[in-house]
Amino acid sequence: MIVSLDWLADYVDVPPVEQMTERLLLAGLNHEATETVGSDTAVDLEVTSNRPDCLGHLGVAREVAVLFERPLRIPPIELPKPRKAAAVSVTIEAGDICPYYSARIIRGVTVGPSPDWLVSRLATVGIASVNNIVDITNYVMLECGQPLHAFDLGQLAGGQIIVRRARPGEPFEAINHKRYELTDQMAVIADCDRPVALAGVMGGAETEISLATTDVLVESAQFAPLPVRAAARGLTLSSPSSYRFERGPDPAAVEWASQRATALILELAGGVLEEPVAEAGKLACQPAEIVLRADRVEAVLGVPVPAQRQQEILQSLGFVQQAATAEESRWLAPTWRRDCWRAIDLVEEVARIEGYERVPENVPIAARPIARSSRERLVRMVAEVCVAAGFCEAMTRSVVAEPLEAFGSPWGDAEPLVCRPPLVRGADRLRRTLLPSLLEARVASLAAAASHADLFEIARAYLRRTNDSQPAASPLEEPLLLTLVTTGDFFRAKGLAAVVLARLGLEELAVSAEGIVSGDLTGVSYRPVQSQLLATGRAAEIMLHRPGETPRRLGVVGEVSPQLCKQVGCDEKTAAFELRLDSLEFVADYEPVLTAPSSFPSIDRDINLVVDEAVSWGAIVSAVESTGCHELDQIRLGQIWRDAERLGVGKKSVVVSLRLRSHQETLSAEQANDLVAEMVEACRRHVGATLRA
Amino acid sequence: MTNLSLDAFTADLERLRAEAEQTLADVADEATLEQARIEFLGAKSGRLKLAQKGLGQVAGSDKPAAGRQFNAVKSAVEALFQQAKDRAATGPANVSAETVDVTLPGTPVRFGRLHPLTQTIRRVASIMGHLGFEVVDGPEVEDQWHNFEALAIPAEHPARDPLDNFYISVANSAEPFLLRSQTSTVQIRVMEQRQPPLRIVSLGRVYRPDTADATHYPMFHQVEGLLVEPGTTMAHLKSVLRAFASNFLGGDVHVRFRPSFFPFTEPSVEVDMEWNGRWIEMGGAGMVDPAVLEAVGYDPDEVSGFAFGLGVERIAARRFGVADIRDFYRNDVRFLEQFSDRGQA
Repeated sequence: MIVSLDWLADYVDVPPVEQMTERLLLAGLNHEATETVGSDTAVDLEVTSNRPDCLGHLGVAREVAVLFERPLRIPPIELPKPRKAAAVSVTIEAGDICPYYSARIIRGVTVGPSPDWLVSRLATVGIASVNNIVDITNYVMLECGQPLHAFDLGQLAGGQIIVRRARPGEPFEAINHKRYELTDQMAVIADCDRPVALAGVMGGAETEISLATTDVLVESAQFAPLPVRAAARGLTLSSPSSYRFERGPDPAAVEWASQRATALILELAGGVLEEPVAEAGKLACQPAEIVLRADRVEAVLGVPVPAQRQQEILQSLGFVQQAATAEESRWLAPTWRRDCWRAIDLVEEVARIEGYERVPENVPIAARPIARSSRERLVRMVAEVCVAAGFCEAMTRSVVAEPLEAFGSPWGDAEPLVCRPPLVRGADRLRRTLLPSLLEARVASLAAAASHADLFEIARAYLRRTNDSQPAASPLEEPLLLTLVTTGDFFRAKGLAAVVLARLGLEELAVSAEGIVSGDLTGVSYRPVQSQLLATGRAAEIMLHRPGETPRRLGVVGEVSPQLCKQVGCDEKTAAFELRLDSLEFVADYEPVLTAPSSFPSIDRDINLVVDEAVSWGAIVSAVESTGCHELDQIRLGQIWRDAERLGVGKKSVVVSLRLRSHQETLSAEQANDLVAEMVEACRRHVGATLRA
Repeated sequence: MTNLSLDAFTADLERLRAEAEQTLADVADEATLEQARIEFLGAKSGRLKLAQKGLGQVAGSDKPAAGRQFNAVKSAVEALFQQAKDRAATGPANVSAETVDVTLPGTPVRFGRLHPLTQTIRRVASIMGHLGFEVVDGPEVEDQWHNFEALAIPAEHPARDPLDNFYISVANSAEPFLLRSQTSTVQIRVMEQRQPPLRIVSLGRVYRPDTADATHYPMFHQVEGLLVEPGTTMAHLKSVLRAFASNFLGGDVHVRFRPSFFPFTEPSVEVDMEWNGRWIEMGGAGMVDPAVLEAVGYDPDEVSGFAFGLGVERIAARRFGVADIRDFYRNDVRFLEQFSDRGQA
């Protein structure tokens, strides 16, 4: 709301501008700017949507009057005795959109330029002068906040007004001379042939006031906020009028504004006023009584305001006291303050006029100890590992484009959720995996010649629930994911996944040749996986094992598929993993229990096994571990080599490094030999291994 | 062979000491060091060795004094030698295969960084944690009850306009969901589940269809605090925010309230904090609207509360001097690597 100080001075003695704007700022009207326009000063104030009363000079003047304790001067209106005439017909067909409509007729006006004072006041607030009639309607709107419209009565077919919903596709040319196609969400003012105005938004070109106009119909009406907004937004046609109707002007100003504009027209453009006023509908305006307990203000603000002062403030703002006792007072809000209808609203009025600077800023706050949630601790643990491993945390958009989503998700096949409008152009799919967007970030970083593009992100994916086991629960779930992308191959990514999991106390469990994880242990296992996101034969799913639970997918790891690399334009070899952190919150509550290290020396032995190519390392480990040997301290991969001539076709040699150590005694060479022999035998039995001399 | 006078012996020793000083001071590298060692400390014919032999020619009565003098000079020369040796090992003039150019780069070990928004969120959460506020979490795809109705935003409210939200239709749900437009949704969820007293901060991603520019992005982060306890007033709100601002900015920071309007708080205020002599906008706040307390089943006559919200991007942009908030989402490693956590997380 731009305020002309010259204009404002009609209604209140204006204090020095800086004092005024500072005080208004602390009472709810933010000061945006002050500018000199000719001999006048324009002050731009930000008005929150609950205060349409301040969208007119009178409303701002009332605030100034209250804050500086000065009288408010509301201009008196004197209308000459009107001439009796046949009434113009006004019909409201859409009462939900237009509760009340009034029309005053003035005949024989002389349309022409406005006087200088009017032109200059409008110029200060940024409105160009059109002609005296149009300028007056704008002036009165900017005075009291009630939008008006003047029609050329001679152009209204049938001399009548109908307020109705627009017909779907109905054409309309506004006074900006643009053509619009309307919908039935919008309301129009029509004559008997066509729409002549878009209700509450803008008048029509065909009935606008021109120099040839002699008879004028002045519209002052109440329009409901929603259809006005639908029209203004639907057609991208906001106006000062729609802006005010969306917020709800003072119902009492409907009649005041009509009379005020009529009086100014008669004064500045001549003509003769006719009666009766054509009207239809009923003004919705009945403020309810508000009860304010005497102790309420202090209970909210934390500082007392004497009852006498509370009453002064409310009365100066236009609230009418109905009754008062020591315990409570009863009030009616003024018609222009429909945002005030509860006791708490009155408290706010008292507070903002009294000033929030009175609220103390140093009251004691009782201490309350809290603990971090499992999820918070988990996120901190994994982020710490990623950062220590040299990775930068990225934040990418939650919504991606369809071509990226088409690569699917490790977390289910249900269709992605789609948002309207798209988050950014082209991106309307809520992601089900972070991997593609993180890859995009990686490509962007590499393109920018960054020193590296090792990135991780911790964020949610958005999934539809597919099983209906919990019908009452939300139909959606949002797993928290940790995803990481790096230069390198499968083993680089697996090593990183393993160190993150190790930080959480989750070690790899060996999977037997039959695919069985022995023991009732908590840990993870890896097995091959097919996914469009990851390269075939170079990817694994990470399974989470917990005692008494069916193993479930905790993550995927592997080299990014060539197709996905191509899609995002990544030409560097990239590996990645993605983990579901929401499956892991339980680990944050682990308390480690010490296993005392053995104080006896260890014996290292390498065994060189020859096995079929298909035998996995995990199966060998599983076979060794199947001996249940307590002295097995460590088992590590020595090396793998292939030589068709020396080993046979389809065979490989696997060197297994064993470390044996007892907690009870120093192992003798003979004891070690016996234990190793047992392990070799287990490998023979489980995976068909032979010992290579 | 006797009859070396004590005076002559002393003079010889002093000459030896002076020359050793001179020579060892000139030692510049391993080679000259070795020469000096042989000359003065050599086991067979080093000059100290020779001087020791001279000790035998001193008259018996002078021997103790001469011995003391000899030992003093020997210690001094040995010390000088050690100094020279140390110097030769580290001296700038001594670059050889065994010594290193200590200005050459060390073997690189890379460390990563947390995203500056994460660092900011952690800092805020940490300060609020000391004030007893616990971090809570909730869904980003919300229903309209939690995003609007329970927050006193009725169906006809402009904030629910389809153009102002990212609506999501979900087949088996009557009304569309949406990407939450504020983290206050989590406060509703917590209040529905728990009874006062309550101190929480909800933080995370929120979504509004703003066109991306230097100060807007359709996805951003909010931190919202909520305290609900009997007898809570705006004085508590101001005091908590002042404690927060003082801790965040350092020093004794004042805050001020300007009246504002939010559907879910009444009274509502904008909060400014005084920074370098200027008032800067910190966020929005207010007393929890009684309608919100009722919506979650609390009795507004029994408890009251306050809520406040901060824009993480705005705080981080100011903290780190980031002029364009879109940079936070470009994920350029050259950008990300600049934000080293100061240990305030």
